Amino acid sequence: MNQADVSKLVSQLRIKVNPRLRRFSNPNGPAGRLDKLRKTVTGLIKHERIELNYPRADEARMYAERLISDAIRYGDCHRTTMEMADFWIIEKQLIHKLFKVLVPRFQDCNTSYTRLYKVPSPYPIIYKREDCYRKAVLELRGNPYPSLLPDKQYNKNIIHNILLEEAKKEYRMQKYAEVVANTEEKGKCQTDSPDEKLETSSDISSKPESNKDEHTT
Amino acid sequence: MFSSSRKKIISTSLKGFRCNSQTAEALQVTNRLASNKTKPSQLKFSRIYPEFLPDPKIEFRNPLREIIERMDMLNRRRNVHIPEFYVGSILSVTYSDKHNPEKLNCFVGICIKREGCGLRANFILRNIIDSQGIEILFDIYDPTIQRIDVLKLEKRLDDELLYLRDALPEYSTFDINMEAEVLPEGSEIPINPIKVKLKPRPWLERWERKNLKGVQDLELPEKFYKRAAELADTTSQYDLMKQYMKTIPVEEQYQIFSEIESELNQLEIAQKKQKRKKSFVKPVKLA
Amino acid sequence: MIYKRFLVLLKNTNYSRVTKRNITFTEESERQSNLFRLEKVRQKESVGRIEKIEVQYAGPPNETTLIMNKNISTPYDCAKHLGEMLVNRSAVALVNGETLWHMHRPLVDSCKLELLHYKMAQPSLVNKAFWRTCSFLLGAVAVNSFKDQVKVCLHSFPSPNVRSGSFVYDVQLSLKDWKPEKNELKTLSIEFIKFCQQNHQIECLEVSEDYAQLIFKNNPHKSKQIPDIAANNNGKVPLFKAGLHVDISRGPMITNTNHLGRITVTNVIKLETDIPGDPIYRFQGVALPHSIILNHFAYGLIEERARKLNTGRIPAINQDLSIDYGSFVKPQVVV
Repeated sequence: MNQADVSKLVSQLRIKVNPRLRRFSNPNGPAGRLDKLRKTVTGLIKHERIELNYPRADEARMYAERLISDAIRYGDCHRTTMEMADFWIIEKQLIHKLFKVLVPRFQDCNTSYTRLYKVPSPYPIIYKREDCYRKAVLELRGNPYPSLLPDKQYNKNIIHNILLEEAKKEYRMQKYAEVVANTEEKGKCQTDSPDEKLETSSDISSKPESNKDEHTT
Repeated sequence: MFSSSRKKIISTSLKGFRCNSQTAEALQVTNRLASNKTKPSQLKFSRIYPEFLPDPKIEFRNPLREIIERMDMLNRRRNVHIPEFYVGSILSVTYSDKHNPEKLNCFVGICIKREGCGLRANFILRNIIDSQGIEILFDIYDPTIQRIDVLKLEKRLDDELLYLRDALPEYSTFDINMEAEVLPEGSEIPINPIKVKLKPRPWLERWERKNLKGVQDLELPEKFYKRAAELADTTSQYDLMKQYMKTIPVEEQYQIFSEIESELNQLEIAQKKQKRKKSFVKPVKLA
Repeated sequence: MIYKRFLVLLKNTNYSRVTKRNITFTEESERQSNLFRLEKVRQKESVGRIEKIEVQYAGPPNETTLIMNKNISTPYDCAKHLGEMLVNRSAVALVNGETLWHMHRPLVDSCKLELLHYKMAQPSLVNKAFWRTCSFLLGAVAVNSFKDQVKVCLHSFPSPNVRSGSFVYDVQLSLKDWKPEKNELKTLSIEFIKFCQQNHQIECLEVSEDYAQLIFKNNPHKSKQIPDIAANNNGKVPLFKAGLHVDISRGPMITNTNHLGRITVTNVIKLETDIPGDPIYRFQGVALPHSIILNHFAYGLIEERARKLNTGRIPAINQDLSIDYGSFVKPQVVV
């Protein structure tokens, strides 16, 4: 039985929001938890791409998204937003970066501001809990680094594509030769009936594909 | 088997709803509006009618149920005028007694709490009658409610006035035959800056820990304040995600109220007409 | 052990004894590689006073100018300065935008450097170098895989042509009408993979004609080819070495044997030639770089095609070597 708190307006996040927040059990309680996340968020804004454990990355991502969306929504003249930025960004020169660099970058963005990749965990993998010890890379979109995802564009000049292309050509030539051989045989058989000979030969020259189908069946 | 088939029907109809209500284009428009920091007119409704917003807790969400509930709420509002009111406003509620269908009860009191969303939205009225404190919890959309009148439309300094239970009786005593105060149209809702004096301890709750604004000095020994300071939650105001999970994002609010905006406006206009009619009631000849 | 004993022999420079013994092929490889190594050391020492050159590298990741040592630093050294990713993926270097340069060949002058890899937009040069290296390594596998009673004598390999579907090495074997079984081919493939997994750097060296004759004195075919090669290359013979295997090739080749990922020796076919002595067999194979991952079905198609006889130049006695001598042509100039 709750009623939505409408005292502050927030923008919708474009990422999946977990139903429950992770606790990150800490001797300092909730303050310690926020302290941990603060470091990660600051690191993300500073370096734009960080590698860390998955649970913390997932959690920090939501906070980073919230911070950026608030900065976009309210701007740097809004007192509460500025206090938030002051709390969440430990290195104070990065507050400037948030409002002057990231806000213009993401202003017209229709997707999430960050990306989270699962990356292979270091060997040996110890499965204590489900996503414990899993590694992740968290990055801001539009960062200056090369993309983490492989370039899957088709390039016909790469060696395996050349080899496959040639194999395909050869297969086609072979099939074509078979078709020609078959039609020639057929022509020889039909020399007994000279009336039909002309007809078939014209057929062959016009559409060898259809002939091939007949023979294979 | 039955339940599974029903679920299926629900999910398909849900899809239909979504397609009708909002296309991708509309969503983009909302996004742009949100990013341009313009406050859409629809958002004023979220303060007036907060029960139209769904429960922010994600486990309790069910988009189809929410839509149907909103339709039901509007239907109820067409029959009974449910006015704009806030915690701190003084209301009079006329309701029929389920044990005596002929009889109508009327209760006047101050709204000390509003809670719940959808059809389960409710509020608590408090008054002291014959030096006995009485509180009644009304469901807003309860069909036994015949009439809700706002006698005094105002807000208090706090979001909940539960501390009135421990306050001196004069702060929650209201005249049953109170005349309704009419605010001029278009004026802001006034905030009553009254500070309430609490009775000495024992209390129902530890009010010194609640960070209340509408109470006078509690006159407690120093150790109570010390302990309260120790337990004070200083960090949760910075927990952006906790805030996020307590509210409904602007885009969603916008979507919900843009669906029902025209209905709500019509209802308001109809209500104003009715009020005008009422003001010309013939004077009754007294004996 | 054998290696150390051999080193002692080399120090005494008593070659005559070695030749008088009945040399097995591994010993022959060791002899060749030691001669190669000695010559390399000699050439390095003969550089003398170290001069500096400027190497300009234009991205990625960013534009850099490196100050390197003339006749000592190689493109590989430059890559080491630039980053691990470049070290691992670079196959061949392109100097001044026109000359292909082996990654382990010292740079001779200030230049602009590009590092080429397999997944570039236009990787045809890299593909060719890769194919050539595969041929070269196939020779090494052919030498090392046979039992002692089989005499193996490398002849040459034609100019690399990726479109032909397989890389090739022509080898003289003392076997008559040998048709390899499936298992034998599999063994050859495994030997090839094992050899590549040893992560041999592929080194290169230019030696004089006489020295090349000394290295290849036990190989009649190579000895015959050397004068022609030297005549076409200002009296120098370019050599390449991977592990203990030394061969003549025009180069350039790729950096390391670990660049090879999937490898198959697909067929060995007897050739009809007029070369006297034992018959010549054509070893054929197919391979892909480590960075290219291909599903087994597609790779199966490529393998199937590589089983057919490669139509590359077939060796003969009186060839016009200056025109189509495959294993050696002047350093390639890219237009």
